[in-house]
Amino acid sequence: MKMLKTAAVALLLQGSMGGLAQAEALNGNPLSNVLVRQAIAHAIDRQLIVDAIFGGYAVTASGLLPNGPFKSPDLDDYSYDPERARELLAEAGWDSSRTLEVVYYYDDQITADLMAVLQAQLADVGINITYRLLVGDVAASLNSIPDDPAGMSVVTWDLAYGARAAMVMQEYFNDYGTGKASADGFPGSAELDALIAASNTETDPEAAKLILMQIDDYIDANMITLPLYYQQMYTVESNRLDRNGEPNGNEQFNYDWNVHNWTVSPDADGNQVLYTNGAPVDYFEQPWVNLGLWAGNKFLWAHMLGATPFLDGVTGGDLAETYEMSEDSLTLTMTLRDGIMWHDGTPITADDVTQSLVFALKTPNLHGVVASAFNNIAGAAEYLAGTADGVSGISSEGNTITIRFAAPNANTLIAFTQWGPLPMTYFEGVDPALIQQAPFWQNPIGSGPFMVEEANFGDFVSFVPFADYWEGAPQIDQVVAWASADGDVNMVRNAIANRIDFAITKVVSDIEAIEALDFMRLVPMDVPYTRMMWINQYDK
Amino acid sequence: MLTFIVRRLLIMVPMAIGISFVIYLALDLSPGDAVTRMLNPERTPDPARLEEMRRALGLDAPMPVRYWIWLTGVVRGDFGNTLTGGVPISRLLLDRLPATLELSVVALFLSSIVGVILGTISALRRGTATDSILTVGGMIGVSIPEFFFGLVAIVVFALHLQWLPVGGRLLPTYDSYWDHLPNIIMPALVLSIMMTAGVMRYARTAMLDALSREFIKTARAKGLPEWRVNLLHGFRSALTPVIVLIGFRLPILIGGSVIVEEVFQWPGLGSLFVQSVRNKDLPVVMTIALLTVILVLVVSLIIDILTALIDPRVRLGT
Repeated sequence: MKMLKTAAVALLLQGSMGGLAQAEALNGNPLSNVLVRQAIAHAIDRQLIVDAIFGGYAVTASGLLPNGPFKSPDLDDYSYDPERARELLAEAGWDSSRTLEVVYYYDDQITADLMAVLQAQLADVGINITYRLLVGDVAASLNSIPDDPAGMSVVTWDLAYGARAAMVMQEYFNDYGTGKASADGFPGSAELDALIAASNTETDPEAAKLILMQIDDYIDANMITLPLYYQQMYTVESNRLDRNGEPNGNEQFNYDWNVHNWTVSPDADGNQVLYTNGAPVDYFEQPWVNLGLWAGNKFLWAHMLGATPFLDGVTGGDLAETYEMSEDSLTLTMTLRDGIMWHDGTPITADDVTQSLVFALKTPNLHGVVASAFNNIAGAAEYLAGTADGVSGISSEGNTITIRFAAPNANTLIAFTQWGPLPMTYFEGVDPALIQQAPFWQNPIGSGPFMVEEANFGDFVSFVPFADYWEGAPQIDQVVAWASADGDVNMVRNAIANRIDFAITKVVSDIEAIEALDFMRLVPMDVPYTRMMWINQYDK
Repeated sequence: MLTFIVRRLLIMVPMAIGISFVIYLALDLSPGDAVTRMLNPERTPDPARLEEMRRALGLDAPMPVRYWIWLTGVVRGDFGNTLTGGVPISRLLLDRLPATLELSVVALFLSSIVGVILGTISALRRGTATDSILTVGGMIGVSIPEFFFGLVAIVVFALHLQWLPVGGRLLPTYDSYWDHLPNIIMPALVLSIMMTAGVMRYARTAMLDALSREFIKTARAKGLPEWRVNLLHGFRSALTPVIVLIGFRLPILIGGSVIVEEVFQWPGLGSLFVQSVRNKDLPVVMTIALLTVILVLVVSLIIDILTALIDPRVRLGT
């Protein structure tokens, strides 16, 4: 049945590749001409960029989706070919006196170097660029979508260098929908809209994979966005740390990493102390925004379901002992484990889950994938619009929570692997719009394997094992997390001083420095993280 | 003098309000707000939710209204909460101020004493090898940025010799306040280097200027011992501009040193200020800015009073 469905989807989508690569400019902007965009792709030597700028710690990209099971065999890799670029520009009638404006928002030397390389390579084929760093309201500066999708561009930039770190593959493409506020610079097309919609509602993984490949093919053939390279993420581990066979995975998100089974060589006092980073500077971030990114998120919280290391499947229940999705993908039933506790010793109840779900709907910064799944709950739209007091699709009986959805969603189960309830007794009277401003985040009461012992904001947070954790108390006696922002500038220094046992990084200089330390190890991971160049194709 | 002090204190109120308004306006005119800074530019959140958040945070009100709300709160002693995390700003200041104070007080004390002594020696030994060495040392001190000294100190004393901690202020193993003294040494000394060099150069120039005055010649002609001429007459006269310089460095007691705090992972007010500017967390920025403004105004008054006490030629209120 599954194979038949997959084949049917593939047949249906074959026609979507028909309207590709129009060789004329669609409006007054030369970048609306696919030949110009393809010329830019051929003019850039991505292998040189990877080798010279990233020291080989990145992978040249073809297509937006990362290498692996989602890679379409039909992608054109736009190999470095300056002669071909010149031919395409000549064919497109490119005006070499025109200067393109490139913007970027990473305030680091590597990006500045990259801009200089791009400038030289594009100049070589007759395309002049200037580049500038975006500061201030970056999201608004990037958002290129005018109110009228066929209208004039609302931004001055022609090319924007950015990235997409995806939890699920649909995240790569959802912003390409017509009229969707985003940085992609693409006015949208009915064909792509249909494909995007199908990718979000298709619950058969194999059929969904085919649709995603079709989208990547479409974007690639039309060079709507230029993929530059895939950036690997590295887990930084000291030799003191033993994961005892538990897997490495995408550490930016939540998966069954089973930290309760990890051990660390005891210190002089016989204590197992794990040093890490990512502790909060002033307050714990609520865990529905960046999911598994910060130490607070990773150690403090349990989730409804468990995920595989790279989030391509559900391993089973976490707080939920059992779960069942109906055949039509419209009803999810989860039954909580008996005896599960919050860190303050009170039981985690079905009411906590249902109230957290309703509360989450109105929180402002809910992660996109989770928000997409939750907004799809029956009655959520009415609740958000203020025409209903509650959400009709959410109910519970005893320990069992039932959630009805308005339509199938490809990522419902994955969303519940990243999301867990909050102890709602601490949020009475809290406006969901101000969830992050609640006093709770000064000393959160979690549900995961470790709980907060001491929070010295700006310095460190100490976590200790939660004895009542449902999988058993962790073996590590204490986790000390140093306060840091994303891309911790002090990580290497702390590692040299034996103050890091576990961290993650994508920073090339950090990777090279850690590699030189014989008491540390690096584990490279192919996570979905693509650096790309958005191309503004709106009329100018 | 009392009339002068009262008049200056009264002038400080409209000055502080005026300066704070200009700062608030400038910050408000820069693009974006605290809500946009909370977003990941690579994601596209629901605009309706963001507007709801702006409303809940009071960011939808016109700028003069927001400024008035903030100002009246401050007058009542309520600095408000941070926009990004809802943390009471008074608590945040109390958390961060000790870190900044212990660093800047040590640095200010060291640099003032050592800088004045070395500057005086340099002036008294003008043209000698000692003077040359101190002058070159002073040039190096003011020329090389703090982060360089900081990183060299970390590599040498923390990573190679392992005498001192690599950074941070507190560790979970610390039981008493005094446990973290080793953490203060490197950042305080690094912060002192540039300040010492500045004071030293200033003290040398002031001392040379004083020693060339007529009253010094008169004192020598009267047969006073050289140490008395130099210290009682020359040094006292040279002290006035040095006190002004040191006085105007007092605001670092509040503002902290951003670079040193960043290099040494020191959770002081300087890094809080920078982080809050980045986040457009206006209540925090404004509170730190206002405290700094008040400190500058108060210090300026104290300097005027001290100058009058040290130098009888200065008359206050004229």
